[in-house]
This record gives sequence, C-alpha cells and structure tokens, in this order.
Amino acid sequence: MARVRIDWLLAGLAILIPTSSLPLAWGQDEAGLPPPVEHPVAFEEQIRPILAERCLSCHGPDRRKGGLRLDNRADALAGGDSGPVIEPGDGAKSLLVEKVAGLDPLSVMPPSGDPLTRDQVALIRSWIDQGAEWSEDDTPAEAPRSDHWAFRAPVLPEPPEVRDFGWPRNPIDRFILARLESEGLSPAPEADRSTLIRRLSLDLIGLPPTPEQVDAFLEDESPTAFESLVDRLLASPHYGERWGRRWLDLARYADTNGYEKDRERSIWPYRNWVIDALNADMPFDQFSIEQLAGDLLPGATTAQRIATGFHRNTMINEEGGIDVEEFRFASIVDRVATTGSTWLGLTVGCAQCHSHKYDPITQREYYQLFAFLNNADEPELPVPDPEIARRRAEIQAEIDTIVAGLADRFPLPDRRAPGLTDDEARRQHLAEAMARWEASLRTHDWTPISPTRLSSKNGATMEVLEDSSVLVSGDKPNQDVYTVELETDLTGITGLRLEVLPHESLPDGGPGRAPLFSVGDFLLTEFEVDAVPEEGETARVAIANASEDYSEQGHPAAKAVDEVPDTGWNVKGAIGRPHAAVFGFAEPVGDGSRTTLVLTMRQEYIHQMTIGRFRVSITTDPAPIVASGLPADVEAIARVPAPERSEKERERITRYYLSIAPELAEQHEEIARLREALPDFPTTMVMQERRPEHARTTHLHRRGEFLSPEEAVEPGVPAVLHPLPEGEPRDRLTFARWIASEENPMVARVTVNRLWEGHFGRGIVATVDDFGTRGEPPSHPGLLDWLAVTFMERGWSLKEMHRLIVTSATYRQASDVSPTLLERDPENVLLARGPRVRLDAELVRDLALSASGLLVETVGGPSVYPPQPDGVTALAYGGPAWPTSTGPDRYRRGLYTFTKRTAPFAAFITFDAPTSEVTCPRRERSNTPLQALTLLNDPVFVEAAQALARRVAREVPQDDDEQRAVRAFRLCLARRPDATEIAAILDFLAVQRARLEAGELDARAIAGTDNEDAVELAAWTVVARALLNLDETITPE
Amino acid sequence: MPPPSRTLLAIAARERLQAATRRHFFRDCGVGVGKMALASLLLGGQPAPASDATRGELANPLAPKPPHYAPKARHVIYLFMAGAPSQLDLFDPKPTLSTYDGQPVPADVVKDQRYAFIRRDASLLAPRFRFSRHGQSGAELSEVLPHLAKVVDELAIVRSMHTDQFNHAPAQIFLNTGSPLPGRPSMGSWVTYGIGSEADNLPGFVVLSSGSGISGGAANWSSGFLPTAFEGVVFRSEGDPILNVSSPPGYDDELQRDSLDLVRSLNERHLGRVGDPEIAARIASYEMAYRMQSSAPELMDLAGESRETLELYGATPGRVSFANNCLLARRMVERGVRFVQLYHEGWDHHSDVEGGLRNQCGQTDRAAAALVMDLKRRGLLDDTLVVWGGEFGRTPMVESNATLGRKLGRDHHPQAFTMWLAGGGIKAGQTLGATDDLGFHVAERPVHVHDLQATILHLLGLDHERLTFRSQGRDFRLTDVHGRIVQELLA
Repeated sequence: MARVRIDWLLAGLAILIPTSSLPLAWGQDEAGLPPPVEHPVAFEEQIRPILAERCLSCHGPDRRKGGLRLDNRADALAGGDSGPVIEPGDGAKSLLVEKVAGLDPLSVMPPSGDPLTRDQVALIRSWIDQGAEWSEDDTPAEAPRSDHWAFRAPVLPEPPEVRDFGWPRNPIDRFILARLESEGLSPAPEADRSTLIRRLSLDLIGLPPTPEQVDAFLEDESPTAFESLVDRLLASPHYGERWGRRWLDLARYADTNGYEKDRERSIWPYRNWVIDALNADMPFDQFSIEQLAGDLLPGATTAQRIATGFHRNTMINEEGGIDVEEFRFASIVDRVATTGSTWLGLTVGCAQCHSHKYDPITQREYYQLFAFLNNADEPELPVPDPEIARRRAEIQAEIDTIVAGLADRFPLPDRRAPGLTDDEARRQHLAEAMARWEASLRTHDWTPISPTRLSSKNGATMEVLEDSSVLVSGDKPNQDVYTVELETDLTGITGLRLEVLPHESLPDGGPGRAPLFSVGDFLLTEFEVDAVPEEGETARVAIANASEDYSEQGHPAAKAVDEVPDTGWNVKGAIGRPHAAVFGFAEPVGDGSRTTLVLTMRQEYIHQMTIGRFRVSITTDPAPIVASGLPADVEAIARVPAPERSEKERERITRYYLSIAPELAEQHEEIARLREALPDFPTTMVMQERRPEHARTTHLHRRGEFLSPEEAVEPGVPAVLHPLPEGEPRDRLTFARWIASEENPMVARVTVNRLWEGHFGRGIVATVDDFGTRGEPPSHPGLLDWLAVTFMERGWSLKEMHRLIVTSATYRQASDVSPTLLERDPENVLLARGPRVRLDAELVRDLALSASGLLVETVGGPSVYPPQPDGVTALAYGGPAWPTSTGPDRYRRGLYTFTKRTAPFAAFITFDAPTSEVTCPRRERSNTPLQALTLLNDPVFVEAAQALARRVAREVPQDDDEQRAVRAFRLCLARRPDATEIAAILDFLAVQRARLEAGELDARAIAGTDNEDAVELAAWTVVARALLNLDETITPE
Repeated sequence: MPPPSRTLLAIAARERLQAATRRHFFRDCGVGVGKMALASLLLGGQPAPASDATRGELANPLAPKPPHYAPKARHVIYLFMAGAPSQLDLFDPKPTLSTYDGQPVPADVVKDQRYAFIRRDASLLAPRFRFSRHGQSGAELSEVLPHLAKVVDELAIVRSMHTDQFNHAPAQIFLNTGSPLPGRPSMGSWVTYGIGSEADNLPGFVVLSSGSGISGGAANWSSGFLPTAFEGVVFRSEGDPILNVSSPPGYDDELQRDSLDLVRSLNERHLGRVGDPEIAARIASYEMAYRMQSSAPELMDLAGESRETLELYGATPGRVSFANNCLLARRMVERGVRFVQLYHEGWDHHSDVEGGLRNQCGQTDRAAAALVMDLKRRGLLDDTLVVWGGEFGRTPMVESNATLGRKLGRDHHPQAFTMWLAGGGIKAGQTLGATDDLGFHVAERPVHVHDLQATILHLLGLDHERLTFRSQGRDFRLTDVHGRIVQELLA
C-alpha cells in the first residue's frame, strides 16, 4: 500500500525538532577552535576538574570506554583504541580537543549533557599547547580494594576463655558466654523439656511434637536424649520441607510467571529437588554449583539440570506487545542481584546503574558478573517418570496395534470379483482405492535447498539440520523477521515450497514457537522472495499464487503475500504436524548461472508467534505450482512410478494412505483418541548454556538502562574478591565453582549466618543479605568465623551445622525475659535468653493442620490449591478462579500451596510470606489485625478447629472435660496447662455448652457436622479455635 | 426448650469466668514490661517508654505519625483508571488530528519509540468526540464527560503527564511504586508508613476495584520490603468486605466476644510469665480485629445514605460498581482511612476507542464528579486529595489489525497523557501543561510520574527525598532518585 509523505507536518512541528547545539557561533581561529589563552594553564586547578566532571564517568577506572582513561597521566597520554588523544605541544591537532570542540558533528564529546564551554575548550587546547603538564607520580588508580572485614577470608579462631566453664556445651557457647560475661550478663537457665522439644520440632521440621513424643522425651532419662531427638528430627523427611521453604524464599519460587498475564508455569520438580537435596544433606558447595550450573557439569544428570531451576524462577512478562528481550534483560538483572545476596551477601545490584557507592564493586564488574549469567537459553525439560513412561508405552502399543491392523480393517468392496478370499478382496479394494487416490494427486518434483545464510532480526538462534530444515531456538522475541539465503544453479524455477515442521523442542511439538496463546502456532505475516543473479540487479520475485495443505479458517498462505502486514498464514487446529505453503512464481527464475534466492519471512504479530522449524524446496515444474497436501516424503514417493518404488517407499505411501483413507475413519478416531490420552511427562524450567557460536555478548549499560548498551565486557569477578581459577573457561560453571569455593570469604559466612537467623530470628550479621560496608557488623565476629570455617571443614554439611547450633547451651536457654533484660537487649542480640519468634506463614497453617490431625504428610509433588476465601484471585488479570483442591490435597503442608504471584495465597501474605517477585533474604514478622481475622475466621482454621474437636472427642473418653482440655491444649502447645488455664478453658466450655444446649447457637454450623453429638463437638470446636489462636500456639518459645 | 438448670449453670459459669479473668490474670501478670505495654496499647495510646527497638515492636505501626512538615491533605482518594484512558478523546483536543485524519504520522515525530501493537508509520486518528469549554476556568472537556464538566473549576487538569513504560503491568506498577518491576512498596504503603492512619478500626490503606482484573495485580498495592502492616487491604464489594472479617458460620457476636476474652486472658497470663511484648501487640491486634468486625460491615452498608446522595453518585446499594466504590471512598475518608485507591480497569481501547470511552465514561463520569461535589459540600475536599488517571496515554495514531479484529482504536502511548487532581492543597481551576499539535509529545511543563509522586507526598506533608527505607543495602524511596514537586499545582 503506497503511503503519501507530507511536508506540512514537518514545517508545522518545529517544536518537535531538536535545535542543533553545535558550537558554530564561537569566535574561531583557522582550525575552528577558540583561540588559546595567554596565561599558563594549571592542570590540577583548571583541567583535572573538567576531566573529572565531564569525562571520567566513561573514561575512568570503571568504564574505559574506547579503551581510554583520563584519570592518570600514563593512560591519558597512551590514548585509546583509536590512538593517542593528546599531542603534547599541539592542542589543535589533538583528538581530545577535536572531540570536545565538536569539530566532528557525528562524534561530539561528551555525548550527553551540554557541550563544553568555549572557555573550557580553550583551556584544554592551551594546556596541551603548553606541553600537557601532568604530574609524573600520578599513577593509575588500582582496582578497588577494601579493608572491610567481610572481604578477608575467615580463619578458625580459638574460642575465648570464659569464667563459667561449666556452662558451655560446645564452642559456640564460649563465644556467646564470653560476650555476656564482658557485658555483665549471665545466660538464662535451660528451657524445660516440653518447651525444648516443641522448639526443636518446629525449628527443624516445622511441625509440632505430638503429646506422645513429648512424653517420651520427658521420660527419656538417657544422657543423650536431647541429641537423639535432634538426630531423629534431622533424619525426618520434613526437615527438607521446613528448610527447603527457606531456600525457596531466596529462589523466589512461584508457580506463575508474574506480570500481567501471570500464567501458570511448571517448575515444582525444582522444589522437589531442593527438598530432596536438603534431606540427603547434599554438601552446600555442590548444592550451590548444581543450582547455578548443573547443566554444565560433565555428564549432567536430569536432577542436576532440574537444579538449575533456581534462576529460572525469575518472572516472565507475557503481556501483548512487549519487548521480550527487555524483560529477559530484567531477569538477568534479577539473577545477578539474587546471586549476590544469596551467596555473596553483597548488594551487587547497586552497581547496575553506577559503580557501587559503598562497596568496592564497579559498574564494569557488575556487567562482568552479568556476562556469566547472560549466556543461557531457557528451555523446559521433560522430567522422566517411570509410571508415566509405562502408561505411555501401553497406550503407544495399542496405537501401534491399530495402525498395524489398518490394512486388515479396510472394508470389503460392495461388489467383489468371484473366487477371491475375503482377504484378497480386501487387498484388492485397498489397492484400487489407493490408485484412485494417487491419480487424483497433484504433485511436483521438489528440491530441498540448505540455506547458505540465515539470520533472525531479533536474535533467535537458527541452525540447519541434516535434512536441510532449519531449527530455531534460543531467544523467542515477540516478532521476528527471518532472512534466508539459498543458492541454486537451477534454471527456470517456478515455485517454492515452505514446509513448517514439528520438533520435540517446540511448544506442543510446533511447528511454531508460540508459548502462550495458540501454543505451537506461528503467523507468517509477509513472505517475500528476491532473486540475486550472479551478475545483475536484485529483483523481487512476483508471487502468482499461494496455496497450502492446511490453514486456520481465514488465514491461508495467500495472506502472507497480500502486502497487508497484519494478516498471515497459520496452522491453528493442526499443531504438532508438518505443513507446507507453496508459492508459485509469476515468472520463472534462474538462468542456469548461480542464483541466490533471498527469502524474507516476516512474522510481525505478537505473542511470539514465530516459526520454529522450516525447510525450503524449489521446483522447476511447469506452472501452476500448488500444494499437494502431502508430507514432503510422501509427495516425493508419489512422483515415483509405482513399479519402481522400493519396498520401503511402498510401505510408507501405503501407510500414509491408510492414515487418511475415509474408509477407515472409525479407526482414525480411535487412534486420535488414544493419542489424546497419552500422558505427558511433567516439565520443569531449566538453564541451558548456549553453544559457543551462539554466545551472547554482554554490554555495559549506561545508567543500567536496557536501551543504552555501551561497550562489550567479558565475564569476570570483582577484584575485591578472590580470583577466578586460572585456565578454566569463563563460563557459568567456573563462576559457580568460584562462588562455592573455600577461597570465597563470603559464602560460608553468609550461609551459616542464614542458618543462625533461622534458629534465633536474628543473624550474627543482622543484615543477612548485606555483609558490605553498609551492612550491620557482626554481633559476634569470632563466632561467625568459627562457624564458617567449621562449616567448610565439615564438608559443607548443613545438617552438621544445625546439629551444632541446636545442641549448644545458647540455643537451649529459656526464652522468658525480665523487664530489665528486655530494656537492656530488646532484640536479643547478646543471647542472654533463648529465641522466641513467631512461626513462618506456612508453618502457622501446618501447625493447625497437624494439631487437628488433618495434615497429609505426603512429601513433594505438584502444587495444590487448599481452600481460601472466594475472590482472592478474582482481582488479578483475567479474574481466574481458584480451583480448590478436593481430597487430601486440601491438607498438604503450606509450601505446596500454589503460589500465584499477582494474587498470592491470602493467609500466607497476611503472615508475611514473600510474594516471590524478587528474592526474599529475610521475612519481616508483623503482628496485625488481619492475622487475627485469619486465625479466627479463615475457613482453613475453622476447619482445623472442628477437626481438633473431633480428634479430642475421639481420643479422650466422654465426661472427662478436663482430660479433653488437656489433650487439646497439648496438641497445640505441647506443655500441660496449669490449673488457672484449665479453669479458664473449662469455664468457657461450660458457658458455650450451655448456650449450645439452649439452642442459642447453631451447633451443627459450628461443628461442621450433622452428627447427633453436634452440641458436644461444637462446644469443643470453640475451645479448639481459641487454643489455635493463642500467641503461644504460633510462637515457638 | 432446654432445662432451666442449664441456663442457670451457664449464667453462673459466666460470672465465674469473668471473676477468674479479673482475679487470676491481672494478679499473675505482676509488674512487668508486658503489662505496662499492654495497658498502654489497650488504651490506644503510645506504648510505655522503652528503647526505640521495643517501641518499634510494640507500637501499632499504623498509629498516626507526624509528617515532615505541615500537610495540606490528610487523605487521598486515588481513582486509578487502569488500562489507560485516551487523553485525546477526553481532555486534550487536537484539531490537527482531524485535519490530517488518515495520514501517516511523520517518522521524525515517532523516532525510536517502541509500540505494543501498531507500526511506527500508522495513520493519525481524529478525536472521536466534540470538546467544549466549561466553568469559569474554561477548561476543555469532551462531550462524554458531562458530569465532570460541572465540577471542572475544582480540578487541576495536567495535560503533560509522561511515563517511562508502555505496557500495562509495568506502567501501573511504575505509577504506584516508582519502579516498573514488582517488589517495591506502593504509594499508599509509603504514605501509611510515613504518617500512619487516623482510623483505629479500619485499615489505613484500602483498595477497591470495579471493572475487570487488574494487569499489575497485587504488586500495585504491595508493601514491598516495608512491613506487611502497610500493605493495601482489599475491600471486596461482594461477600466479606475484608477477607475473614465475618465470624464463621454459627458464631454470634457473644460467642466471638467470649472467645476473644478467653484468648485474651490466656495471652495475658502468658505475657506475665514470659514477658515478650509481642504478646501484648498480639492482644492489641485481636482487639482491633474485633472492632473491624463491626466497623467494616457498618462502613459497607449504604442504607444510611440519603436517596439524594445515592442518586448523585448513581450508586445502588448491593451492586458492584465504580459509583458504589466512590461513595465508599468518601465514607472511608470520613472514618479516617488515609489512602483509598479505587481501581477501575477497562480503558484499554485498542479497538473502537469511541464506543469504549462511551461505555467507561458512562460507568464512571457521574460518580467521579459526584465524589468531588460530595466531598466539597461536606467540607472534606479541603484535606482530601482526589487523583484521577491511568498508567499512560493513547496514541494519536489509529490501531487497526485484521488478525486481532481491531479497528479505530488507539495503542499505548507513554509520551503524553492527562490526569486530574482536586482538593487537598491543589490549586483548582487550571489546566497545566500542553502537548504538541499532534498530542504526541509534551510541549510545555512536562510532569513525570515521579514528579506526580513527589507532589502527592508533599501535599501530605512528606518530603519524598526523606521518606526512605533501607533494603538490600540501599535507602529506597518512592521516587527512586528522581521526582520534583510540581509547584504550579500547589494552592
């Protein structure tokens, strides 16, 4: 469609056109420069400030753009990539002066902000004219360095001497006690045993002990009773759930993609991996390496690939019309920040926009870290599952049987030649039908051509496979334009066939790459062919006709050559199968010399609807050239006269015919039904390093902006930390090994500190994700280093560290606090008492389910949808319903609850669970009225109260209210109630029971039952509900 | 009928219960910081003097706090027109677009702007409606805003808004949090973090929604790295106004109160034993929760509103509508709620911008104008800031796409859009800023999203550069490292 350009707009819109700010109005000398100044120029006073203010942000120690540094004499005089910029004695000939004076309008320095003033240019020119004096001892600034404690490797300290040598149970206690003694404080007595077992259980497995477990512990007189309990809990499969959830906070695990669409994703196998790895006590260095680079380990196992889901938990923006690459960039930014806070305890993310203001990390170093993480593709991995494989094999066998028997099911003819057996008649009928079909075909001789050049406008990876087809992978932009070059010597080319082919790597098998809407489809919006003769002008090839074997209604191949940019060809409705469009040329192309055909395949729609695999063939058959409707191999066989076909060819074409013969429609339906029933393997999202030839280049980005890339940077690590190992490739695996290295001063400290925070509610370094100069200094530096070194010495075993911590006398203290001590140490930094910290959100619910006996303890598996109030998800885009689970999945542990980022599970958010958009190094612990409403009124907790009442009624004989009350109390709190508490509960029970019996209250509604004993159950339900609401219930002490 | 003896027994038991509560629990509490803290919390005042850290734990985080300087506004009602209404058809008339309707937009104008759906050489599209001047200020409004025209002298219309984002979710989140990526605190969270709330039986930051699902989702009212107490609390128009604010089936108020008394007495006893002030804070939270159980339904009940008021808004009790939400917003402000945000998603007119606007204005124009009028006549407008606007604007160019079935629509346009503000320290009766002849770029007095945020905080007495929170090693603020107060908007 021709478009008319109009001049008026430009004339009328002067305001829109930037006024040129070239320095043309100056008084100029012959070179176009301001005249030199007449006095001596002082470098330090007059020149260095100009350089510092206007040049060093790009040409300083951090950036070195164009290889140039202007912060020291040697580098400045040496110049940059284009040679010297300062010619001492001749300012007018110096490149520096040329640039800042704007003599080259295409390259004025500085590139942003106002140009230098005339006076400034004159000064610089004159300073060079006068010899470019610059103090000799101005040596280059060295890479950033720091004396900050955290950058020095920890050394195993000798635990300090203490006066009360009887108190410590292990070295941890000597560090704590020494500090207490120096502060004039003494430790609290050991907590009583029921408090201890509850604390331990909730800390190590996130579930309360049963009264039987409490009693057993109380009665265990062995000197190692406590240690045995610790062993039992650390061996529990629930340990991995409890501490896995903590790790998932760091991993920002969620079950949806985030942003507007916030579609469901499948990455729960990664959650399983975390739980399993922790339960197996995988050494933390290995645990780290597998998550950061498991795909790159030699002979990587499926589990190691699943582990790379850690960084696939970033969000994916699927809103229509976005720039996919922009949000991929955002995800790498997130990965760098998350890696920094999770393993390095450093806020490296600060250096995205500028060199870190407080910590010694330059912006260049930031993008060097970025480069390590910027070279992966992000596919989905089918996860093997023997049960699914078995069911698939079974169904496939059924399909194979039907296919093998198709010929035998071909109907008998209505009229048959006499003397034939049924079988013979059937075969003859088939042969005749097939011959008629073949006679009806319109086929061509096609020559597949392997492309000689390929490119994707928006960065997808393209490779030619053995069958001359092109497979597209890697980046998946919203829109793309493929340019495909084919060379041929053929004369008189009359048409071109574009096959689009399925592939296992494509969504739903392809042939398109669309992941979201019309999964597996594409939309070819425009298709253009240019012919470039060996000699002569390039000419556009006119397309006379377009046809296809299949298209969605209203989207035929003709729409790809109609010059309307927003229409095109697609194959919705027949995904997972090969298709072809055929384009007949108006005039034959090719004179026998070498012709290059340049195909432009525009796919300029939205939603990543690009082609995933295609093959191009050409023909010289006489026009008209049309699509045969056959797969390419069958079309080729059909061209071979029947007697000349090989056995294999005969089989293939027969098999194809049997698969479409209308006489066998019933069998086809059966096959389709079975194929539909093939169960899919679950998938999970993984990282996969790109091949060297497709390696991405990472750039520094001005102010951290996606749209402002500057010079390229190589992968590297901050100079302030330990060096990369020599001679190793600069890839993600080397980076992962560098992170999880004993030479890393940060990783062991950060990790043990996080464990400490998990047990005491506060880290030895309170800013658990920031060990930098702005973080809080450690309260017990010696203890931190002792734990860090011990951690590494003990083979990075997390369970060993838990054991050390919880068996310390420090941990075993009672948590009661006197007003004096509270005043003295409100945050319990000194640990003169034990920890008392509210449970994490998921554990609040787990506890209620466990106490009431509802909890289903199955470990692992896909996410579940326990009940939550109506309308929580309705506010999100599209107002999706919450498909509440039925059966056991209602009562699984909280970490299995489906996490929808834009509408998170309400009860968890209320109790400070993270929304999983970014990494959560530490949960806040708030105390709000909404929490009270949740515990009092949320259906889950109401159901738990009802179940707890039923449990107590079942487990304790009727007519013993006191024993029932004790039982309910202990199921929630482990300890026994005292007389006052019992009295209060029984009084309350009596009042409510009387009201229930009087019919003032609806017993059935309260108890959630129609049973005859509804009144009794209701009375206990309201008691149970009160107990589940106690502060002590949701707080380990 | 149950035997009378049971009832007598119940009465006796209740008396014993109450006596026991008094006798045991307060005696056993002893003299501890717990009791002192509790007493002060329950009296609704500040906690007993203690160290700062203790104070932080104990205090109701939503208690009113002094601003940085004297505020002009004490409440905000933010009408978030999610999806992005077309400024060119509502507030910013461009006759030039009519003259050159159907002509391609010059490439020099578009430069390297990226678009969600249209091509860069799309044709210009004339305004869909007639505009005329209204009020003493003579502000120009489209014919589909007849009600707003009546209060136009109360408004400051800003025609020169611009943003960085051109997709819905990032742009909505950017407007609310200053960052396009989810995870930062929203405006309402910053405000309640900064100055708390005056409501002691309702949340300080409330979110209401009419229209369809919201692109940015919960990130729009998230407290980000601020404590959860500052998260926007969604009020639902159907069912419980606040999740779980109703007692479970079968529980009457007496049972709920009795249950809370038991929980409280056991908590108090335990507080006396272990001394952790968190328990005192929890007791206070339960009391506030109990108050919310009656205050929230009372708030939502429009039966007490006069017929005249209901008609003014076009509100119908019991229906989910923007009109009801506007009326509820006024009732919340009357009850001290600090920041009310009304989402109305439905302005994303990629096709048939004319029909779309008629429909959405039909749903919102009367109520938005009524809100300004009603606040004014009740004397609430002076200290209530009302803000109206979307997350970006719409293109001067037409969007049409055969495959998507779109025609005569407009695409996303970050370079220029219009918002209006009223009340709470705003200089009324003005139209600020201007766009170029095509309505493409801002030509005069650009107001960036960060400038709007800085101005809203300023009106509430908060300095956007001083309202910070340390997270991941950095002091974050709503306006990132940007934002300038728009002085022209200040009365």
